[in-house]
Amino acid sequence: MSDTPLFKVTIDNITVEVPAGTTILNAARKIGGDVAPPAMCYYSKLQGSGGKCRTCLVEVSKGSEKDPRPMPKLVASCRTTVMDGMEVKNITSPKVLDARAGVVEFLLLNHPLDCPICDQAGECHLQDLSYEHGAEGTRYEFQRRTFKKHDLGPYIQLHMTRCILCYRCVFTADQLTQKREHGVLDRGDHAEIATHIEKSLENDFIGNVIDVCPVGALTDKTFRFKNRVWFLKPMDAHRDCPNCCGKVTLWNRGDEVFRVTARKDEWGEVENTEDGKTAWICNTCRFEKKKTSDWVIEGPRLISRQSVISQGHYAGKIGTTKPHETFSAVHAGRSPKLLMDIHSVSEVNKPEVHLSLIEGPAHSTDFNTKKD
Amino acid sequence: MGVKLLLEKAHVEGIRYFDTYRREGGYRSVEKALKTMSPEAIVEEVKKSGLRGRGGAGFPAGMKWSFIAKPEGVPRHLVCNADESEPGTFKDRYLMEFIPHLLIEGLIVSSFALGSNATYIYIRGEYAWIVDILEQAITEAKNNGFLGKNILGSGFDCEIYVQRGAGAYICGEETALIESLEGKRGNPRIKPPFPAIQGVWQRPTVVNNVETLAAVVPIINMGGEEYAKIGVGKSTGTKLISACGNINKPGVYEIDMTISVEEFIYSDEYCGGIANGKKLKACIPGGSSVPILPANLLLKTAKGETRYMNYESLSDGGFATGSMMGSGGFIVFDEDQCIVKNTYTLARFYRHESCGQCSPCREGTGWMEKLLYRLDKGEGKLSDIDLLWDIQRKIEGNTICPLGDAAAWPVAAAIRHFRDEFEWHVTNAKEAQERNYGLAHYADPIHVPVAG
Repeated sequence: MSDTPLFKVTIDNITVEVPAGTTILNAARKIGGDVAPPAMCYYSKLQGSGGKCRTCLVEVSKGSEKDPRPMPKLVASCRTTVMDGMEVKNITSPKVLDARAGVVEFLLLNHPLDCPICDQAGECHLQDLSYEHGAEGTRYEFQRRTFKKHDLGPYIQLHMTRCILCYRCVFTADQLTQKREHGVLDRGDHAEIATHIEKSLENDFIGNVIDVCPVGALTDKTFRFKNRVWFLKPMDAHRDCPNCCGKVTLWNRGDEVFRVTARKDEWGEVENTEDGKTAWICNTCRFEKKKTSDWVIEGPRLISRQSVISQGHYAGKIGTTKPHETFSAVHAGRSPKLLMDIHSVSEVNKPEVHLSLIEGPAHSTDFNTKKD
Repeated sequence: MGVKLLLEKAHVEGIRYFDTYRREGGYRSVEKALKTMSPEAIVEEVKKSGLRGRGGAGFPAGMKWSFIAKPEGVPRHLVCNADESEPGTFKDRYLMEFIPHLLIEGLIVSSFALGSNATYIYIRGEYAWIVDILEQAITEAKNNGFLGKNILGSGFDCEIYVQRGAGAYICGEETALIESLEGKRGNPRIKPPFPAIQGVWQRPTVVNNVETLAAVVPIINMGGEEYAKIGVGKSTGTKLISACGNINKPGVYEIDMTISVEEFIYSDEYCGGIANGKKLKACIPGGSSVPILPANLLLKTAKGETRYMNYESLSDGGFATGSMMGSGGFIVFDEDQCIVKNTYTLARFYRHESCGQCSPCREGTGWMEKLLYRLDKGEGKLSDIDLLWDIQRKIEGNTICPLGDAAAWPVAAAIRHFRDEFEWHVTNAKEAQERNYGLAHYADPIHVPVAG
């Protein structure tokens, strides 16, 4: 890789150097924080994915050093490669935010919004996306579309109404398994994920479609309605598996293993193992090994403090990562202008005291006496 | 009487068959091209001719040809886009049905120019009988040595294959067509890479409309510069217009792009006026996906100049007061036609034909259809009109392929020019079901502030 030239690209006033051929999205992910556009369909581990959901649209205000013309339309950052000297506007462009709000509205148009009964709630990308970019209410006054139910076998539950047709599961099945048995039938807003003529999905690695699904369209039948993800403690664990790498995340409550998933990084994608391969896991690991004794526990999984899953589980800073703050860099060194700093008028909620260290209901004395 | 280059011989008896076509001077361009010209010279001639793609976008054909990548040892392909599914457009069907050898001739010359040894005609499934006509024409051409190995001793091999589509509008989009040709689901690809670099089976490919490829024949016969003299400005040569709607003489007309819209509608040589002595209300000048124009803006541009039937004049004024040449599907509405209903019909079409790959088009087209249905039935609200505007604005330009734009433009233009008719459907809901809104409102240009 050393012979590929490095390109300088400026995204929201932050300049980063990336090798030629990198997409804008991956360059922005290198910066991290709010600068990285949301992606519902792009999955860096799957070839050919991306470009469909249109949530990652960005404005290219300067094409490159050689050709400084801006691009006429918003471009899908997941499928557009960077040029040297390119300038990209993501959260600094009102056009982008407007288009993104539109896309969120479109994605939620026929979405049932059944988060209270959805197993994906808490780790759903669509939830995050609509929380950040969505409107408070819908303008859609018609009946939402429904589908005939398809049974995909003993392990995978399909809720077609929740599907946003990102095609990730189709690419997964294409690229991971010997034979793809499911795909997209029909077109337009009645397109659906289905197996042709009621087949079950049977393949050693097909369980990975659950991990790649950004919404609750494909969920784990062995975990269905068992628990909410934020009541579970994710633990890294491994076992000697003859089929896959055997490196997984166990979702425990007490000593009980509720579900097993692949290890996901901060973008919700399956991580790479040390040898650079993607750590997909096999069906046996995922669905059959539900005892702590099957696994060698490595330790708690790192979870973003922003995630609902991190709530109240770990004492102190164990197992949580702080969000990456890009505000001042994006706004040319200016810090957010606070109308009132809560810490200067209140003695509670001091940032240096971690809430999870407090036993029982928080009290002002906790903040006065305890130091982290 | 305008110049005719494509349809001049279309009505000679038996022109569908090789012998008559050859006797009438057919396949001269193949002889000229393969015996006396180099492929680069042909591309140069097409560039000189200023021929613009006749499929809708109007991209210069010669330029498109010169973009094709020529890596060593990789075959190149020419694909003829005969998936003519745009409502209101039926020019390719006419050309292929009556004078199929013209297309075959154009294909041979173009294949030679582009170095394509396997050329495909992707034809829409509904044109089932034309497949037989084309296949017969191909067999005849092959039997007479114009196709197959070593054509006319030039050492150039070429085969033409006809592939039927399965009736999806989206497969007329060039990358969706390529996917479909490869045997996959007809979803448009994300560009770049463009087909000129990676097309059919990842090989460099040029996709051209039937009429564009047929127009190569007169260009080679008469020379690019001569061809460029026909027409006006950047609209060179002749264009087939398929006129339909409330006119006396619907049909396919070949025009040389110098006549005015008014002449085209009212002269006896062409459409022959509005049927039943009615008045002209509106017109979609280039196939269903281009913006509709009210009568006053159709005949005269916003500046008061006469509007002509060519690429520049029809798009004069941008989308605010102009439209597009598109694929030449000229749909005329008389005073009795309801624009709301028409817009609903188009929205229903685009909803049905959206491939469902990218979210704005998949969800937005369905939403627009439902809103328009409600408005058309007189159950709408005034806020629905603004909502429609907002939806189309969020679809346009944010999709993978132009189908999103094509779905958004008719709605946008209908609201832009006929907003009072939409409002009338809300305020006078009962009456709107019984009679159409008055024509008088469109006799003069109405000042339309561009919303949003």
